[in-house]
Amino acid sequence: MIIEIALLCGLVLFSVAAVLFRDLLRAAICLAVASLLLGIIFFRMKAPYIGAFEISIVAGLITVLFIVTIALTKTGGDVRESKAASWIFPLFFVVFLVLDFFVMRGLMGKIPALGGTREQGTFGEVLWKLRTFDLVGQIGVIFAGVLAVLALFRKRDKDDE
Amino acid sequence: MNNTWLLYMSFAAVLVFVGLYCLLSMRNLIKLFIGIEVVSKGISLALVATGYAKKNILVAQALAVTFIVIEVSVVATALAIIINTYRHTRSLDIRKLAKLKG
Repeated sequence: MIIEIALLCGLVLFSVAAVLFRDLLRAAICLAVASLLLGIIFFRMKAPYIGAFEISIVAGLITVLFIVTIALTKTGGDVRESKAASWIFPLFFVVFLVLDFFVMRGLMGKIPALGGTREQGTFGEVLWKLRTFDLVGQIGVIFAGVLAVLALFRKRDKDDE
Repeated sequence: MNNTWLLYMSFAAVLVFVGLYCLLSMRNLIKLFIGIEVVSKGISLALVATGYAKKNILVAQALAVTFIVIEVSVVATALAIIINTYRHTRSLDIRKLAKLKG
């Protein structure tokens, strides 16, 4: 349990660092480390498939996309953030932590035990048999994403100019 | 098992809070998107932790896979929009988008 709590604290720390770092490249790398920690947490929850997805896609692919975008927009990266945003953050964060702690402590023992029967079968069977329509939706979403990126980067017609 | 679930939920809430704070206070478009990513991390943690506590980890994993696929599509599209916005305005400042000038 201590390892889980350490991993969760690391996840929150790296997420906060990703939000507060002014350098975008460092922020993107902190986000990748946070994804890596989340993937390890998923592995420890006995959810290896989603752990592998998290590490390969979110920590890998999305970080690459972020770094490419940062490289392409290099000169515009120096947006002046308001100073107050980073100064006030610790205050809000501590207030939220205290609230979170008290709410969760209040809920402890009040929520009825989460029932549920142990599942049968494997991940593949659940994905193919129970959630077939999800897969159709996923394929649709991927195509929509590809078409959107193609539409955004298409060459301009001569008529437009 | 219930207390473990509450522990995971409290950390998921903290992640969502950090992401929402970033969305509300930052001005850089890429930074805003990092905020959305942090929120989505909290949501996927909540999804999988609930499945783990309810011993329904397989369905939770199937849902989280769907969530990650949608996340990737959203990221790809949004980053393409950010690059196009940068080409138009030569800046990543969100306030320059408020002008909505041709």
